[in-house]
Amino acid sequence: MTSAVKVRKVGTDKPPTRASKFLQNRWAGLAGLLIALLAPFVNASPYALSVMTSAAVFVMLAAGLNIVVGYCGLLDLGYVAFFAVGAYTSGVLATRFDLPLPVTVPFVIVVTVIAGIVIGAPTLRLRSDYLAIVTLGFGEIIRITANNLDVTGGPSGIYGIPHLTESPVVFYYLTVVVVSLAVVGAARLGRSRLGRAWRFVREDEDAAEAMGVNTYRVKLAAYIAGAVWGGLAGVLFAAHLSAISPTSFTFLQSALVLMAVVLGGMGSIPGVVVGAVVISLLPEILRDLADYRFFLFGVLLIVVMLLRPQGLWPARSREVS
Amino acid sequence: MTQLVWNGLFVGSFYALVALGYSMVYGIIKLLNFAHGDLYMLGAFAGFAILGAVGGVSASMALPVLLMVLVATMLLTGLAGVALERIAYRPLRGAPRLSLLITAVGASFALEYGMRAAAGADPRVYPVRLGGTSLEVLGARLTLQQLVLVGVAVALMVGLNTLITRTREGRAMRAIALDPRTSSLMGVDVNAVISRTFFLGSALAGAAGVMAGAYYGKIDFLMGFLIGLKAFTAAVIGGIGNIPGTMLGGLLLGLLESFGTFWLGGEWRDVFAFGVLILFLTVRPTGLLGERVTERV
Amino acid sequence: MRAIPLKSLTPLVLLGLLTAGCGQGLLGGDDQAPKGNGPILLGMLIPQSGSEAAIGPYMSNAAQLAIDEINAKGGVLGRKLELKTADDACDAQSAVAGANKLVTEGVNVSVGGYCSGATLPTLPIFGKANIPMIIPAANSQELVDQKLKHVFLINGTGSQQAAAADKWMTKEGAKSVVLVHDNTSYSKDIALRTKALLDAPGGADAVLVETVTPKESDYSANVTNILAKKPDYVYWTGYFQEGGLIVRQLRQAGYKGHILLGDGSVSPKFIEIAGNDAAEGVYATMTQTPDTLEGAENWIASYKKKFGTDPGPYSNQAYDAVRLAAEAIGKAGGTDGTKVVAALEGIDGFPMFSGPLKFTPEHTLSNGGFQILVVKGGKFALQDSLK
Repeated sequence: MTSAVKVRKVGTDKPPTRASKFLQNRWAGLAGLLIALLAPFVNASPYALSVMTSAAVFVMLAAGLNIVVGYCGLLDLGYVAFFAVGAYTSGVLATRFDLPLPVTVPFVIVVTVIAGIVIGAPTLRLRSDYLAIVTLGFGEIIRITANNLDVTGGPSGIYGIPHLTESPVVFYYLTVVVVSLAVVGAARLGRSRLGRAWRFVREDEDAAEAMGVNTYRVKLAAYIAGAVWGGLAGVLFAAHLSAISPTSFTFLQSALVLMAVVLGGMGSIPGVVVGAVVISLLPEILRDLADYRFFLFGVLLIVVMLLRPQGLWPARSREVS
Repeated sequence: MTQLVWNGLFVGSFYALVALGYSMVYGIIKLLNFAHGDLYMLGAFAGFAILGAVGGVSASMALPVLLMVLVATMLLTGLAGVALERIAYRPLRGAPRLSLLITAVGASFALEYGMRAAAGADPRVYPVRLGGTSLEVLGARLTLQQLVLVGVAVALMVGLNTLITRTREGRAMRAIALDPRTSSLMGVDVNAVISRTFFLGSALAGAAGVMAGAYYGKIDFLMGFLIGLKAFTAAVIGGIGNIPGTMLGGLLLGLLESFGTFWLGGEWRDVFAFGVLILFLTVRPTGLLGERVTERV
Repeated sequence: MRAIPLKSLTPLVLLGLLTAGCGQGLLGGDDQAPKGNGPILLGMLIPQSGSEAAIGPYMSNAAQLAIDEINAKGGVLGRKLELKTADDACDAQSAVAGANKLVTEGVNVSVGGYCSGATLPTLPIFGKANIPMIIPAANSQELVDQKLKHVFLINGTGSQQAAAADKWMTKEGAKSVVLVHDNTSYSKDIALRTKALLDAPGGADAVLVETVTPKESDYSANVTNILAKKPDYVYWTGYFQEGGLIVRQLRQAGYKGHILLGDGSVSPKFIEIAGNDAAEGVYATMTQTPDTLEGAENWIASYKKKFGTDPGPYSNQAYDAVRLAAEAIGKAGGTDGTKVVAALEGIDGFPMFSGPLKFTPEHTLSNGGFQILVVKGGKFALQDSLK
C-alpha cells in the first residue's frame, strides 16, 4: 500500500464543505490577484514591498513544488536545488557575461531541464521515502558545490546582479504578473491530459501502468516541470536580492517550501498560494518578537495543522463522485 | 588507515544511536520525525542541567556520575518524546502523512528556539569532560573514554534489538508496523505501544546527546539539526524501519565521511557521502537491509 | 476532524499584507520617519536567529552601551540616539527584508553587518536610501571591491590579518603550516590570503588547506588529515565554537606544534570549550581588544554590569561603530547621508579600540592594528604587537 493512496482516500472521504466549494470558483483566484495588486496602495514602504516580493517568489516556488508533490505524489526534500540552479545560472550569466536578466531566462530553462533530468532519471524508480533522501542529497550537493566553486563566487556568492527595474514598486508588479502566469500555468497543466496522468500515478501507480501510462516518463515530466518553475523563481529571486549566496539554498528552505505546499493543501492551487503566503509572511509578522519569533512560528504550525489536517484549503478531486 | 576506520566508527556509532529512534518511529507509523534531532539536543541540555544541579564532580568519579546522569536523561527525553507524540502527532494519525511532517518541523522549531529562549544562544560547555590519554591500537589512536562510549552505544543498541525481536512488547511493535488496524483488532493497545516506541527512540537520542556533550564538551540549541539530517540519511542507507540495518547504516555513514574527508578534503566530504548514497540507492533501492516490499494497493 | 471555516483565515492573510502599518501606500503622503528633533536612529543588522545567532547579542549589547553613554552626555546635536536592530539570520533574503525594514523605519546610519554573504545584498538598499554604513564585523574583500561611497569597514580586512599571521609565523621560524577554515567567506578569505603570502619564496610553506564543516562536533577526520602533514604550525581562521573543539581534538590526538587562531576565535568561550590545558599557549591574530588595552577594564566592567556577561566577538567594533557614527553626525551637523559620508572620510585620529582611526581611500582601516595574543593562565594576553 503506498502512502499516496492513503492520502487521497482521507481527502475524498470528506463531504464538500463550504470552503471547498468556494475554491472551485475562479473568483477566488481573481480575488487573490486583486489583493496582491492593491496591497501597495495600502502600504508601499520599501520593507512591505520587499517582503511582499519575497512572498510572491515563494508562491511561485510552492506552485512548482506542488506539481511534483501535490499532483504527482513524489516527495521531494531537495526542491531548493532547482531554485539554486536557476538563481546561479542567471546570476553568473548576468554578472560574468553582462547579459541582461531577461536574456538569461532561456539559458535558465535549458539548464534546469537538464538538472531535472539528471536528478530525476536515476532516482524516480525509488520508493517515496528513498526518493526523499535522494532529493535531499542532491539539494545538499548543489549547495555545497556552489559554496566550493570559484565561478559561483564561493561562500560569499554572487553580488551586483542588475535590478530589472529601478523602482521596487514596478518590480513588485512585474513579479506578481510573472508569478500569476506561473500559477495559472501550473493549474492548467494540472487539468491537462498530462495532469490527469500525474494524478493517476499518484492515486495508483500500478493501475496507471496497467492502463498504458508510461509512469516513468510521466513522473519525469512532473520533475522537469517542477524544475523549470523552481529555476524561474530563482531568476526572480536573484533579481530581487541582487546578491545570492549558498546560505539561501539550505535544506531548511526546501523544507519550508514543502511546508507551504502541505499547509495549504497538496494539489490545490489556491491552497498552495495561501500556504506560501502564510509561510513567508508569518516570520515577518513575528519579527518584532525577536527571540520568540521562530518558537511561535513552530507552535503556530502545529496548531494550524491540528485544526486543519487536510491543509488550509484542500483540493477536492473532481474524478471521485 | 586504521585511524580513519576508527574515526568513522566512533562518529558512526553516534549517528546509529540517533538514527535508531528515527527508524523505529518510521517503522511503526511511517512518520519522518524531523524533531528527533532536537530530542538529542534536549538530552544534551538535560544532562547539562542535571550535572549542574549535582555540583562539583571529581575526576575519578566522572564516569559513574555520567552514567547515572545518562540514565536520568534518557528517562527525561523519553518522556519528552512521548509528550511530543501525544501533542503533535497522535491527533493527526488519520490525516495525510505529510501533515505530520509539518507538525514535526513545527515541533523542531519550537524545541530549538524554545531552548534558545531558555538557555540562550551562546554555546554551553559541560562541567565534566571525558578527556583521557590516548593509546595506540593497531596503529590507530583512541582513548579509553571513546571505547567506553562506543561500548555504551553498542550495549544500548543490542538491548533494543533484543527487546524488539524477543519480547512481547517488541512483537506488538512489529505487528503494528505491519498493520495497525489488524493489530488493534487482535487486542494490541496501539496507542500505548506507539507511546512506548517514542519513549525508547527518544531515550536513545537523549543518551547520544549526553554522550556527545560529555565527550565533545560544547552544546548549543541548534546542535540537533545537522545530526538529525545525518541520522535520517543513515536510517535510509540501512533500510529505514529495519533496526540492524539502521545500525549498519550509521556506521557506514561515519566511515563514508571519514574516508571522504581523507580522499577529497573536508569541503567535498558531504558531496562524496551523498553521492555514494545516491549511487548505492539506484543500485539497491531499498537500502542495505530493507525488505523488498512489493507495493500493494 | 471538523474543518474550520476558511473565512477565519482571511484576516490572517490580510494582516500579513498590512503588517508594516498604514499611511505608506502608493496614494498616501510620503510621511517618512520624523525628522528634525526626534531621536537619531541607528540601524543594526545582526544575526539573531539561525546558525550565527550567538553573535547578535554581543554586538547589539555593545552598541546599546555606547548609545546609553552618549545619551547620558546629552546625545548628539541635542538629539538622543536610538538603536533599531533587525535580524538578518546570516541569510541574504532575511537581510534584505531586515535592511528594508530599517530603511522604512527611517534609520540615519547603519552600524550593523556581520555575515559578509548577508551584508552584500544590503549595500544597494542602504545606498539607494542615502544611508551611510559603518560595518563593524563583515570584512570580506567583496565589500571593498565595489568601491561604494557610503560603505565604511572598521574591522581589519582579511588581507591585513593574513599579513599579520604571515609576519608572526615567519618570525617564529615556522617551516610547514596547515591552514584550516570553515568554508565561510570570512574564514576562507583569510586562509587563502595567508596561503598566498606563505607560498612566496623563503620562510614557511603552507602544506595543506583543510576545510571543516561548521556546527559539527567531531573533527577527528580533519585532525587526522592535519597530523598526516606533520606541521609545526596550524592556523585556524574560523570561529570559536569550532575552534575550541578543533584545538582540543588536535591536542588529544597528540599534536605538539603551535596553534594560531584568527580573530573570530578570540573569546573566553574558546578557552572554555577547548579546556584550559589544550588552550594554554595558543596564539591568535587579533585587533586590539579591551583585554589587551590599558584602561579598558572600566569598559569591560560596565558592559558586564549592564548585561551580566563578558563582551564577546565584535563587541568592541560594534561599540566603536556607534561612537563613530555619533562623531560623524556631530561633525556633519546633521543626519544628511552625503554630509555624514564626507565627515567620515575626513575623520583623522578618532580614538578607537583598533587605534586612531583614519580611513583609506577604499574606506577601510589604514592600520589593521593586528597583533598577536597568547592564551596564558586561561586568558588571552598580549604576546607581540608586531610593530
